[in-house]
Amino acid sequence: MFRLVNLEKKFGNLEVLKSISMFIDYGEVVCIIGPSGSGKSTFLRCLNLLEIPTSGRIYYSGSILDPDLDCKKLRREVGMVFQKFNLFPMFNVLKNITYAPMLINKMKEEDAKELAMDLLAKVGLADKANEYPSKLSGGQQQRVAIARALAMKPKMLLFDEPTSALDPELVGDVLEVMKQLATEGMTMAVVTHEMGFAREVADRVIFMDKGYIVEEGTPEKIFSNPENQRTKEFLARVI
Amino acid sequence: MTLHFAKAAELLVPSLFHGFGVVIQATVLGFLLATVLGMIIAIGRLSTIKIVRGILYLYLELIRGTPLLVQLVYIYYVVPLLLNLIASMFGFKTNVQIASVTAGILGLGINYGCYMSEVVRAAILSIDKGQTEAALVLGFGKYEALFRIVMPQALRSIIPSLGNYLVMMVKDTSLLAYVAVNELLLRTQNFASQTFLTIESYTFLAIAYLVISIPLSYLVKFIEYRLKDK
Repeated sequence: MFRLVNLEKKFGNLEVLKSISMFIDYGEVVCIIGPSGSGKSTFLRCLNLLEIPTSGRIYYSGSILDPDLDCKKLRREVGMVFQKFNLFPMFNVLKNITYAPMLINKMKEEDAKELAMDLLAKVGLADKANEYPSKLSGGQQQRVAIARALAMKPKMLLFDEPTSALDPELVGDVLEVMKQLATEGMTMAVVTHEMGFAREVADRVIFMDKGYIVEEGTPEKIFSNPENQRTKEFLARVI
Repeated sequence: MTLHFAKAAELLVPSLFHGFGVVIQATVLGFLLATVLGMIIAIGRLSTIKIVRGILYLYLELIRGTPLLVQLVYIYYVVPLLLNLIASMFGFKTNVQIASVTAGILGLGINYGCYMSEVVRAAILSIDKGQTEAALVLGFGKYEALFRIVMPQALRSIIPSLGNYLVMMVKDTSLLAYVAVNELLLRTQNFASQTFLTIESYTFLAIAYLVISIPLSYLVKFIEYRLKDK
């Protein structure tokens, strides 16, 4: 689905991503782990062109991406969930979900509402449709954000530390929803500090450090039998 | 010396009522122009194109570095002469003139537009970048995100500030007397110089401004309160 060749990203003189090459297949769940400042989030944000790579190529469903031309089309197919939820505070939950499908996909209001209610039921928040985001807990807001992303019927979802801003007891609900999406076959790239989730749900784990992909492989390999010294040190500290 | 408030009231107050009309016209149109200019300048200054930002910055410095009164006089007296001069260089003989109210409205709009653009810009910048990003990743364009998601949130802090500028603009219409707009101050000056009822005339003038500005500032406070409430 995605293939990255020698991707690099600099902010001024700071090299955040150094020669990243990797791929993501349809239906795959890829978890990206690593210490903070390792470039995980920047890498994820390059996939939907929220950051424009300094050099390198991104192939998406077989053709090369042009950041000037393909942004909107790409983002309609590749949704994103943020660490800080970023729900629209002036809309209620229902409108947060229906707004983009109606405006961008020209969906009819009744259809969009029906879809939104289905999605809210799926994330376990059907009773919160008329609440405003400020009245919800972090975990509930994040599940609404997932529903909002799903309403665009994306082919893939990017998760940028979706549980890092949550109180520990709220993390489980969000991970549960993500787990369900994974079993339904959604293609997902997840930047996370939840090693349990990565181990259980990921098809492939990527360990990043200092802008490089240091090691990648199945969760069993990365967590039980890491080859690289830096991976070993990192996992020893977080688990 | 005896004061003749009754006499002054009888002759001056009807004239001041006509002046109200001029003040309201200049304020409403000037404020609309200022709001539109303020929005355009604010958005232009957030542009990614360096030249646009540079030009607008110079323009702001130019307007904010000169007094409103000088700008009004410049627009009324100098701009038509310049236009005629330029036309004559191309061999046309023109006699462009600008109506005094038009000059007044342009001056107020251009001057206030610059100050208001800073309010709009600050309000847009105060909205979390995550809001724009959330809109972008849903497939919104840059300007769709700005106008549909960011601006409605920014308006909550913009509106009270613009209200204060509106009250200030009402009072600043008195400067329009210097470009021959027959507003409150000019009417009072003429009346006072004819009748020598100086104390009475200017007291009524001051009261006339209070009659507009106090209710207006309370209205602004009320709107501000209502916006905070939500």
